[in-house]
Amino acid sequence: MDFELTEEQKDIAKAAREFAEGEFDKDYAMECDQEHKFPRELVRKAGELGFIGVHYPEEYGGAGLGALENALIVEEMCRVDSTLGLCIALPDFGCEIIKWFGTEEQKKKYLPKVCSGEWISAGIFTEPDHGSDITELSTTAVKDGDEWVINGTKTFITNGEIADFGVILVQTDPDAKPKYRGMSTFIVEKDCWEAADVGSKMGIRATSTAELSFDNARVPEENLVGELNRGFYQVLEFFDESRIEIAAQALGTAEAAFDRTMEYIKQRELHGKKLAEFQITRHKIADMATKIEAAKLLTYKAAWNFDNGRRIDPVLTSMAKWFAARTAVEVADEAIQLHGGYGYITEYEVERIYRDAKITEIYEGTREVQKNTIASGLIGKL
Amino acid sequence: MDIIVCVKRVPDTSEADVVITGKDIKKDDLPFEINEWDNYAVEEAVQLKEKFGGTITVISVGDEDANEVIRRGLAMGADEGVRIYDPAIEGSDGVTIAKILAAAIKNMKYDLILTGAQAGDLGEGIVPVALAEMLGIPHATLVTGLEIQDGKAKVKRELEGGLMEVLEIDLPAVIGIQTGINEPRYVSIMGIRKASKKEIKLLGLGDIGLTPEDVGEAGSLTVLEELSVPPVTKVAEIIEGDPAEAASKLAEILKEQGVL
Amino acid sequence: MSEIFVLAEHRNGELRDVTFEMLSGARNLADKMGATVTAVLLGSGVNEMAEKLKSYANKVLVVDDPKLENFNAEIYQKVLSKLIKDHKPVVTLIGHTAFGMDLAPALAVELGLPLATDCIDLDAVDGRLVVTRQIYSGKVNAKVALKGDQFIATVRSGAFSIEEGALNGEIVTESVTIEDVPYRRFLGYEEAEVGEVDITQADYIVSVGRAIKDQENIPLVQELADVLGGVLACSRPVVDKNWLPKDRQVGSSGKIVKPKLYLAIGISGAFQHVAGMKDSGLIVAINKDPKAPIFNVADYGIVDDLFKVVPVLKEKIKEIKG
Ligand SMILES: Cc1cc2nc3c(=O)[nH]c(=O)nc-3n(C[C@H](O)[C@H](O)[C@H](O)COP(=O)(O)OP(=O)(O)OC[C@H]3O[C@@H](n4cnc5c(N)ncnc54)[C@H](O)[C@@H]3O)c2cc1C
Ligand SMILES: Cc1cc2nc3c(=O)[nH]c(=O)nc-3n(C[C@H](O)[C@H](O)[C@H](O)COP(=O)(O)OP(=O)(O)OC[C@H]3O[C@@H](n4cnc5c(N)ncnc54)[C@H](O)[C@@H]3O)c2cc1C
Ligand SMILES: Cc1cc2nc3c(=O)[nH]c(=O)nc-3n(C[C@H](O)[C@H](O)[C@H](O)COP(=O)(O)OP(=O)(O)OC[C@H]3O[C@@H](n4cnc5c(N)ncnc54)[C@H](O)[C@@H]3O)c2cc1C
Repeated sequence: MDFELTEEQKDIAKAAREFAEGEFDKDYAMECDQEHKFPRELVRKAGELGFIGVHYPEEYGGAGLGALENALIVEEMCRVDSTLGLCIALPDFGCEIIKWFGTEEQKKKYLPKVCSGEWISAGIFTEPDHGSDITELSTTAVKDGDEWVINGTKTFITNGEIADFGVILVQTDPDAKPKYRGMSTFIVEKDCWEAADVGSKMGIRATSTAELSFDNARVPEENLVGELNRGFYQVLEFFDESRIEIAAQALGTAEAAFDRTMEYIKQRELHGKKLAEFQITRHKIADMATKIEAAKLLTYKAAWNFDNGRRIDPVLTSMAKWFAARTAVEVADEAIQLHGGYGYITEYEVERIYRDAKITEIYEGTREVQKNTIASGLIGKL
Repeated sequence: MDIIVCVKRVPDTSEADVVITGKDIKKDDLPFEINEWDNYAVEEAVQLKEKFGGTITVISVGDEDANEVIRRGLAMGADEGVRIYDPAIEGSDGVTIAKILAAAIKNMKYDLILTGAQAGDLGEGIVPVALAEMLGIPHATLVTGLEIQDGKAKVKRELEGGLMEVLEIDLPAVIGIQTGINEPRYVSIMGIRKASKKEIKLLGLGDIGLTPEDVGEAGSLTVLEELSVPPVTKVAEIIEGDPAEAASKLAEILKEQGVL
Repeated sequence: MSEIFVLAEHRNGELRDVTFEMLSGARNLADKMGATVTAVLLGSGVNEMAEKLKSYANKVLVVDDPKLENFNAEIYQKVLSKLIKDHKPVVTLIGHTAFGMDLAPALAVELGLPLATDCIDLDAVDGRLVVTRQIYSGKVNAKVALKGDQFIATVRSGAFSIEEGALNGEIVTESVTIEDVPYRRFLGYEEAEVGEVDITQADYIVSVGRAIKDQENIPLVQELADVLGGVLACSRPVVDKNWLPKDRQVGSSGKIVKPKLYLAIGISGAFQHVAGMKDSGLIVAINKDPKAPIFNVADYGIVDDLFKVVPVLKEKIKEIKG
């Protein structure tokens, strides 16, 4: 057993950190958060330097690396700033489906532009009535000649207003039983939908979250990704990879809160002592650090497992996802507590980190959904 | 044009509590990085290569950890990496480090050697000028401007008070780079990928014709005797309180002192 | 009796302070070593300078030659190595300056003598030179002993204070045949560009260091300077990164300033920086590292994040000023 990252992995983490420390600015992050502004230029710069989509093959603009290297970049970026870091993690959202199931033409057309930071994609699954449960969908695609006609409404779509294209999950065979055996994924370009912002949200406010409506949107047959009616399974497999990235986002966000707190408790004096001298503070720090370390081990192991061609293990991925997410929320909460009143003020970063942390327990499968996955994996059919 | 860049891996102590342990400081918890001056030197080399073609070799004297800064140089655009090490090297002074570098470099092909003007940790500023003397070639250190033309280098050396000395020197030469000469690029993932496919050549003392007696304390004419915390000559009166309190108190003090 | 050589440093016909500082330090060292102090003056038409050195040294050794008019490390090295071979000084001191840094290591290598650079103190123990130098951003002092019986050291500017001399050294002129160095040609000096603000004339200076992190944060400190009615200056990294122009840089390779108030924000206090501001009236430092060396020159300090302190400070000063 070897817990060391390879030299290349360490170099990658360091390069990501250097980029983030050099380019991220606290005031700008705050501005993006307050004004719901997406840091488009920053994303382009990160793309040029190869920080987006390292887990795609080199022939499609990636670096030919794996989920672990991607996780390291996302972790480091979110650790420097949870708001801006996430914006660099998500521009390829959904593209893993093209990577795994797409045709050569699809991969060539879409992946390089995403990896270079020129294009932004969206993963379009959730519907107003179908979130955790996507075994049934209202959005449909009906074949008409050599085109498919899509109708329906999707919601909570990250990058919805800024994406150049997305991968959508729709019902192609409404009569299938169970329904999820009649779903397929398509690549849809931005002129296929009308986007409407879902409104002010708690955290990750620099990202766009939108409702997308599809009204007789036509896509050519060649935009079908993979096999017809296998979409649901593709999305589940996609989650096995993408949830690792969200675990890394959570991990970095937890570390961001932790770093700020460590600095603060060493400075803050009360009752003639440094905050860091109180035993209760020290135990809190010990708890936070332990949870972070555990989250890190789970995340890295899930990524390593994914990259090493083992049996894809949704149990492990879900463990990493919910645990890292919970850790982010708990550590951010404790960070605010230790900052006292200052922690509640936006200027002191931990307030924003706290708001940014919570989403990791919701999107890409809520905590409960992850636990369902783990339990059914472990217990099986009774 | 073939360029050699000497790089050193140094701990960043600018925001750390430095703890002395014997003849060294505790380094386990310190972040390490490429010497700031060397980062500018690598960037300068890469820019010259982009203009004139040729190769860049990064070279470092140090243990395995030094590979990290060599790889960083490769990732920024260098072609080859060389590391020189032997346990006997520990305890070498600046002149001895130059001796080791010279022994390795004299068998290599080069038109230009770049180093940092100094290393941020020990700040001796010895290596570039000593190295040039050992190789019998011209040098200039504290260089903030470098132009290559017809086998010559036009350099600007930074003197005190913002004054520049403008010189022309023949190549090959050793140039000690001062910070600010350029804007070092970020390391890219593509660069890292390229770097990790490259083998870093490891040279031992035997490979460069030196013996353990030539290096380390035995081979050095200076010996580190002891480290200590600098005596405090004057300490500022620290204004206590949270940021707002402290700032208010400071404003009051400035008023009392007649500054406002 | 053995000699201590002190290489006089001059530029444009003026002796530089470091020369007198080294001569002052050398006198103490000479007492400990039972040696005399010789000022070594290389230049062209240097009588006047030689006269100025007399009271600081037991001897002023002059080589006067048109080829020595401008500092050229290679030419100086040739002359100096000949003098050292002939006179066998026990110690040769050279300024740790742009001039000395370009010269001393090559000289030491050529002569095979031990070299310690950037020394802040010089001592003799059993006839050997033992120096103190600062390492790790000024947070540690290292004592380094030099082997053998002849030594070279470069001395940090400001390490010794100038003590008026009461000696009356004899001026001895030597002539040395100087070979040409065609491979290194001096083309001239270039003054840094002058901008619209002259920080050396300001009464109040707000000076900002690397900790400002981004050009976009410059307005924050500029506003503070504005409410104080002062100007904004900076440490070297801020100029290196092009966040402020070179003429705002304080320190040995920038400007020397002596304002009534010097407010150092996010500056660690490297000696090259301190050299440019230590004679300011009131020095206040804001730095989140309580061990930052800047607190050893400041009168008042705040240990905290500048981004939290500066906005409040600005408002408070505004209030007070009405
Ligand atoms: C900011 C943001 C960005 C998003 N980005 C995207 C995106 O890019 N693409 C996309 O497709 N979707 C996206 N989503 C949607 C997200 O994935 C869903 O919100 C999430 O899956 C939960 O679905 P829901 O909102 O319908 O909640 P519901 O499914 O209604 O869940 C409500 C509660 O019930 C619990 N619950 C549900 N099922 C069970 C069960 N079987 N057992 C126990 N408890 C259960 C849930 O855990 C939760 O606590 C985003 C959401 C947000 C807020
Ligand atoms: C008395 C004494 C004892 C020492 N003992 C030890 C010891 O036990 N262990 C130890 O690790 N160090 C030791 N050192 C320090 C080490 O040898 C230094 O690297 C050396 O003195 C160079 O000084 P500097 O780093 O200040 O280089 P400078 O001369 O300030 O550096 C200028 C430039 O030279 C080049 N350079 C410097 N060092 C290297 C290098 N290693 N490889 C490639 N290029 C380089 C870089 O381009 C750098 O920018 C000791 C130093 C002294 C004075
Ligand atoms: C030949 C030569 C000439 C030089 N000439 C000059 C010169 O003229 N002028 C000059 O300035 N330098 C000069 N230097 C460079 C000098 O050695 C130092 O590298 C430089 O002064 C360091 O600048 P700094 O203090 O801004 O940065 P650092 O040393 O990096 O210090 C930054 C400081 O900011 C603090 N800090 C970080 N974040 C915060 C925060 N949020 N709030 C509060 N504090 C924070 C840190 O604790 C640290 O102390 C020269 C170097 C050489 C070799």
